[in-house]
Amino acid sequence: MLWRALSRILASAATLLIVIALSFFLMRLAPGGPFDSERPLDPEIAKNLRHIYRLDLPLGRQFLVYLQSLAHGDFGPSLHWRDFSVNELFAHALPISMRLGAEAMFAALVIGAAFGVAGAAARPGWRAKLGALSVDAAAFIGVLLPPFVIAPLLQLFFGLTLHALPVGGWNDGAWQNQILPAATLALPQIAFIARLMQASLRDALKEPHMRTLRAFGLPPWRITAHALRAAMLPVVSYLGLAAANILTGSVVVETIFGIPGMGRYFVDGALGRDYTLVMGTVVVVAALVIFFNLLVDLAYGWLDPRIADAQ
Amino acid sequence: MMNGVLASLDPGPGASKRIPVSLAILALIAFACILGPIVSPHPYDRVYPDYVFANPSLEPHPTADEARTAIADIARRMGAGVASLRQGNAGLEVTLTGGRPIDAGDLRIFESSDVFAAPGIDARADAGRRLTLAIPLKKNIFLFGTDANGRDLLTRTLLAGRVSLAVGLLASFVALVVGVAYGAIAGFAGGAVDAVMMRIVEILYALPFIFFVIVLVMVFGRNFALIFVAIGAVEWLDMARLARGQTLSLKQREFVLAARALGVAPAAIIWGHILPNASGPIIAFLTLLAPRAILLESFISFLGLGVEEPLSSWGVLIADGARNIQGAIHLLIVPAAFLGATLAALQSLGQGLQQSFAAGFGGAPNRLAVPANLLAPPE
Repeated sequence: MLWRALSRILASAATLLIVIALSFFLMRLAPGGPFDSERPLDPEIAKNLRHIYRLDLPLGRQFLVYLQSLAHGDFGPSLHWRDFSVNELFAHALPISMRLGAEAMFAALVIGAAFGVAGAAARPGWRAKLGALSVDAAAFIGVLLPPFVIAPLLQLFFGLTLHALPVGGWNDGAWQNQILPAATLALPQIAFIARLMQASLRDALKEPHMRTLRAFGLPPWRITAHALRAAMLPVVSYLGLAAANILTGSVVVETIFGIPGMGRYFVDGALGRDYTLVMGTVVVVAALVIFFNLLVDLAYGWLDPRIADAQ
Repeated sequence: MMNGVLASLDPGPGASKRIPVSLAILALIAFACILGPIVSPHPYDRVYPDYVFANPSLEPHPTADEARTAIADIARRMGAGVASLRQGNAGLEVTLTGGRPIDAGDLRIFESSDVFAAPGIDARADAGRRLTLAIPLKKNIFLFGTDANGRDLLTRTLLAGRVSLAVGLLASFVALVVGVAYGAIAGFAGGAVDAVMMRIVEILYALPFIFFVIVLVMVFGRNFALIFVAIGAVEWLDMARLARGQTLSLKQREFVLAARALGVAPAAIIWGHILPNASGPIIAFLTLLAPRAILLESFISFLGLGVEEPLSSWGVLIADGARNIQGAIHLLIVPAAFLGATLAALQSLGQGLQQSFAAGFGGAPNRLAVPANLLAPPE
């Protein structure tokens, strides 16, 4: 178990390094620099600027410098918002994105699992059929309606028609401002988790040892509770992907709802060719996803000891 | 365990009907996108200033209201007033009155609008201060309404569909080539090569790829070829896993062994014996890749990082609709409906194909293990 955890942690660190290298060298391939403007700069000034931002070093050295500053938690100055460092921008943006993402993830897990369990545990009959049908329908709608379609529709309905919730903005994290963005992020995941949970719990309940429990006369809720541990496995392994999906979705959601989070800065940075900002965002997002995958991986080994032993 | 769960995720019965139905829907959309902009009475870049934000309807424009507003507008520009307005059998019968004689040359204004054809003068009175005109109407039908500039939304949506579908097709092709080559080589080589190659895939798997597509687009500029290459470059991972799995199981078969014994080169075995036998599941999976590519393109186009004017895609139009959602919801609904229908049809087709290939393999869906790989924990 310890060995497995250690090797996973090492692999995660290596992955992160690859991501950093990949994004760094990609950026350096870009035609056009951050100081290119309509009016060419005086060569001396351009030289000085390049020196200040250490763009005159050889590429390998630049990468080492970047790694070194990353190790100190320094993402460098933003090239677009000249008065800010990337760290200062992230200090505001990251907590906002994390909060929205955590809310969406929590809602997706709780609501999705609840629907899935309800669907699988229902006695065969019209109720179980209705549950399965509605979960399937929700999953299908999740395919049909990507977040960038759902979000404007939610804005229109709850914001402009019902006047119940604000259409956008963050407003220092007032709860009203969080509902629509979090819901947009969570909805597709809810549908998928419900479907996964329902299918896997139904399978788990068919196992012979569940029949034995039933023969012992255990109440149905206790049987379900026993089956749940095995049934959780696919759901847990999906959570890593769900985290990546939610982070990806937050790019669109933060743009639509005008929330000053990481996704918003990423898009603005990409539009404004702000290399340090975009690179910093990629590194932070990749680190989050990798970290979450690591957690999921370790949790998986804990839930299913066979996997830990097999390694 | 995972395979069992995911196999039961697919609704079983009715699957055979899904293939022809989704194929028909796809064919319909593709034909409409290819032919529609050609046969449409409204060129995609034709601007109708008189019909901005027209709602979708079967009724021809101008409506009575629109005609009245347009007449009042033109009359004001001519320095005249509308004394009477009546619906005639050929068009409108309008009487204009002015403080001074109305210049008949000004009547050209009518012609130049989108609403009216050349008017005929029925009667003059008061030394030309009072004109009775018969004004025929130009009938225009905007089935799905018009956008903020008064362009026909249907034509624009179909034209954008060309880009979206092309990106889906081309990006899937890129993913197909890269993924199948990579997976087949890994599977056929086996051993340490396979282990290292698949380890790389698993590492790449954990990354949020949309960020890389956007970085690629930002770095190399927003051109059409780059977008589908970038999408293909990040969508090949699943294809590689599938191709590897297929190769692993096929290379144990007798005919591959026979080819090997005859001294056929590995590349020729992969090309001539393994890929043809793996083509079914690969094609099935290709139809599942296409909607993801289309979705990804819409995603980056929505953010304003995708294709540039004059090209547009469904994502661009949806972004347009999202900006104008108050008052002109059809701008969002129409492209979103086309996008959704395409995604659903492709998804359904892919799943249907997968099931039939699984059944063709002696009812052993585990051997294909396609969607399971999408979800399996990184080992």
